Formats: sequence, structure tokens, C-alpha cells
Amino acid sequence: MPKRIVIIGAHAAGVDAASAARKKDRTAEITLITDEEHAGYSRCGLPFVLGGQIPSFKSLIVFPQTYFQMMKLSLKTETKATSIDTTKKTVETVDKHGKTETIPYDSLIISTGASSFIPPIKGKEKKGILSLRTLEDGERIDRAIKKGAKTAVIMGAGLIGLETAVAFHERGLKVTVVEMLPQVLPQMLDPEMARIVQEMLEQKGMTILTGKCVEEFLGKDEATGIIASGEQINADLLMSAFGVRANTQLAVSAGIALGETKAIKTNARMETNVKDVYAVGDCAETMGIITQKPALPQLGTVAVREGKVAGINAAGGYALFTGGLGSAVTRLFDTDCGVTGLTETAAQRFKFETVSGTISSKTRAEYYPGALPIKVKLVVEKESQRLVGAQIIGGEEVTQRINAISLAIQKQMNARDLAKADTAYAPPVCETWEPVVLAAEMVLMKLR
Amino acid sequence: MVNINGSEVREGLYYTKEFEWAKVEGDKVRIGITDYAQKQLREIVYAELPSSGTTISQNTPYGTVESVKAVSDLVAPVSGEILEVNQEVQSKPELLNEDPYGKAWLLVVKPSNLQDELVKLMDFNKSAEWHKTLK
Repeated sequence: MPKRIVIIGAHAAGVDAASAARKKDRTAEITLITDEEHAGYSRCGLPFVLGGQIPSFKSLIVFPQTYFQMMKLSLKTETKATSIDTTKKTVETVDKHGKTETIPYDSLIISTGASSFIPPIKGKEKKGILSLRTLEDGERIDRAIKKGAKTAVIMGAGLIGLETAVAFHERGLKVTVVEMLPQVLPQMLDPEMARIVQEMLEQKGMTILTGKCVEEFLGKDEATGIIASGEQINADLLMSAFGVRANTQLAVSAGIALGETKAIKTNARMETNVKDVYAVGDCAETMGIITQKPALPQLGTVAVREGKVAGINAAGGYALFTGGLGSAVTRLFDTDCGVTGLTETAAQRFKFETVSGTISSKTRAEYYPGALPIKVKLVVEKESQRLVGAQIIGGEEVTQRINAISLAIQKQMNARDLAKADTAYAPPVCETWEPVVLAAEMVLMKLR
Repeated sequence: MVNINGSEVREGLYYTKEFEWAKVEGDKVRIGITDYAQKQLREIVYAELPSSGTTISQNTPYGTVESVKAVSDLVAPVSGEILEVNQEVQSKPELLNEDPYGKAWLLVVKPSNLQDELVKLMDFNKSAEWHKTLK
């Protein structure tokens, strides 16, 4: 009898799990269940449709229906998994017509993702507080802009908050961003690097209020404004970008254990504490490579790699997910920001003693037309001189430097190794001295 | 030739809903995968094809194509005896991405029941219409 693999969730993690399972087992019956109308689209692309860089929300569908057909994957959309019985090895579902079904599995992969979260703020039940997580969310925001919204308040200056803020600005809205912490991109950048991003955004005409707490939503039934640290701000669009929480209710009800991060606890094979049940993506806890402590990166790249591992294992193969560094990158207007490993702030939280080196350089030879600024910060653990993190802000060429440093961290390279890196050079594409090498040299000088 | 949502559909070929094409060449039929199929699969790295002298039968899998991230069965558009297998595709599977209607044909078969089977396939016009419905 063919193996029955059931996957709850059909986006980055779920579809990659299904594809990997199919590659491993050509005869398995693979079923994906999602409560959304559309499966297999890129959530990360949503802000860039709103900003107008991508022509339509439908362009974000990476895996159309025919992909599932070609791969012989059975896809159930607008179908909600309501419970899991880990003893009988079944999943209960209900579709949009209310029809229920019991689907048996040999292996189950939970990729239920995460949902936008609003902290307990007075008036949070009011209508019209937008968030951006699903394609439908994006369409809702787009309609609101088209209806003539002129002003927007975004609560939260993380990646989604700022990407959406830029999109709103591109669409002609007057944008205010409110962030509780004293800096923008607090997960991604140290304060002095975040300052560069904040100033750039302010120069574009945004109002960025850091260190301000949202205390209340104003308005009768419909939210029309907020009070942030005593100050009233009214806006046509109110967007919640406080963050996301792992969707774990289904798993918890089935007796599947959560970890420290309140996401589903997994091992290196992406197995949960229950036999033949795996968890991947934004709902699954993983291990930080440097800290060796539970981590919840909630990033697309992590989701697909975890999905692949779980898919192979669920199909009877053997694969390991060796943890993450939280490597992330974004583009805000013409500025790219990237991170890998720990910021100094995060390193201190984990009791690492660190030394950092920061270099400002250009993305091409100084004299070459079009050279753009780039700033590289390296974070090194003091005693071992091991590289533990990097942040880069620049006009171009940020991503692949982040990827190279990520690899250096994974291979446990130290500042001296990096300072000796053999790099390439030509005036139209980079400087003679690679800024990453210079930053490593700066660290070495500080360690002397 | 028409381009529908980024995928080519060519005149003179018959098509299946399993993303294959068949071209009648005298008393032989050449078969392969469509442009739409190769685009869905992306970077194709492996093609598993049967040997000449064996037979294939309509609507039945006869091999697989595998890309970095995906794998799909090859489903025969017509029945018949395999006369030729494209060795070049087996050594250079990336040809399937580059030229699915040309250099990357898969098999040449001697059809066993062509007239009855052809009517079950889509012609150019029907295929073009069908490609428009693919989401």
C-alpha cells in the first residue's frame, strides 16, 4: 500500500515538504490541506505588490494548480484541519461547505504558519485594523488605498512594518511608523545601524516614532486613530505589524509539545515529540547555530529548508536540518539591509562578549560613476575570535555578502580567516579592498 | 506559435492535458513535453526514458523528468513501439528547459492506433484555449 503523507498548510514550508516527499517516494499519496483559497504563493512578496513593483497579487502564486497536478499532489483548498488524532493517525477536516472528512496518515507534517498578532491594547476589537499576512489581506489593503486613503499609521518597525511603510509611501500616502523599542528593525540591526535606516526613511518624508507604545485604538466601531505614548495620531489606514505568533492550537490540542519559543518543538529531523508527526516553517521551533538554543526565525528560507527535510523524512528518507542563523535581507527604497547571525544586542542577551568592526565603503571603485555607499559591521566573539554575526546596509551588493558571511559563520571561521579572504575586484563592480575584509581587520586591531 | 501567459504553444502539434505534445511525421510520431511543463518544473536535471524496442501506451506513464525541486511522470500521448530515444536529452537534460519542442524531443514511436488516439488529443487551437485556463 502506498504511504499516506498528509501536510497541513500549503505555502513555503508545506509545498516544499510535499515536493521533497514526492521526489523521495514516487508512489506515496500526498495530500495538502489549506484553509486559504490560494495555495503556494509567496507571502514575502505582498508588500512589493502593494508598492507597485509587482503587477498583481496573482503574480505571487509560485505554485499554480497545475504544479500540484504534475507532481500528483492532492490539494484541498478552503479546507480547515480541525483536529488531529495521533493515536488513530487521522486528521479531521471541514471544507467551505461544511463537509467533514477524516483523512488517515502514515506521516503528518504540520506547517500551519503564523498569524498577525495585536497585543492587548484598549480598543483592539475595533474594525478596520489591517494586517498583511495573506493574499486577501493584501487585496483588502489595496482596496483601502484605492478608495482614497491619504494617511497611514503602521504599528511596528520590523521587516513587514517597514516594507509596508515604503509601499504606502510609494502609493502616495503620508506614513507614520510607531515602534515600541528605541530603534527600527530591532531584530535585525544594532541601534547605530538602525539609525542609518531610520534617517533614510525620514529623509523620504516618513515620520518614524521610536520608543512609543500604542496605548489605545480610537474611533467608534471603526478604528480611526491611535494613542501612542499619550500622543493622538489619526490616520485613514491603521496597520498592525506588531509581529506574528506561531499557529500551534491544532498541534497543542493533539498533545504535541511546544518549546521555549512557544512554537512546536522539533528535533533535527523536524520531528515533534509525537511519532510520525513533523512540524516545519513559521509554527516550528528550531535551533540557533551559534547559540545552540531554541530559535524561531520565521523566515521563508528557513521554512523551505525545513520543509524539504521533513518531506524527505516523512517519505521514509533521512535528512537533517542543522539550525539557522536568522539570515535576512530586505530592500527599503534604494537601500538594502541584511543580517546574518547575532547582532551585538542579541549576542549580549546570550551572554557573549563581543568585539565589532564597522567599515564604510563604496559598492564600486571610488572613482567609478554610480558607486553607492555600503556599510559592513562584523560581530566577533572576543575569546575565540569566532565570527558570530554581521549586518550590512548598502545601495547594492548586500545580499551575497550576507550569504558569504553566513557561510563563514557556519564554517566557524574567525576574524583572522576573514581578514585573509581572497576576494575579486574590478572597478565597475566593487572596491579593491573588500569591505568585509577591512571590517575583519578592524576587529583584529581592536583585539590586539 | 502563440505565447500564452509566458508559455509557448506551437502549431502543427497535438497536446495532452498531461503537458505532452505529439507530432505526426509520416508514419511516425515524435513526442515531448510542453513549454508550460518545463517552466513549471524549472531546472530539469534528469530524464528517465524507456529503451527503444519497448512499447508505450496512451495515458500511461512511460518515464519521469526530475528537476532540482520537482519530479513528474511522463504520460504517453499515443500508443506504439519506441523507434528512437533522444540520447542527447539524457546526457543534457537542461535541453528540456531550452528547447522543449525542438532539440529536446523525447521519443519517436511507431504508432499502433493513431487515428483513434489522435481524436482524444487537443489540436493547436484547443490547446491554446486550454493553456489560457491554466492558473
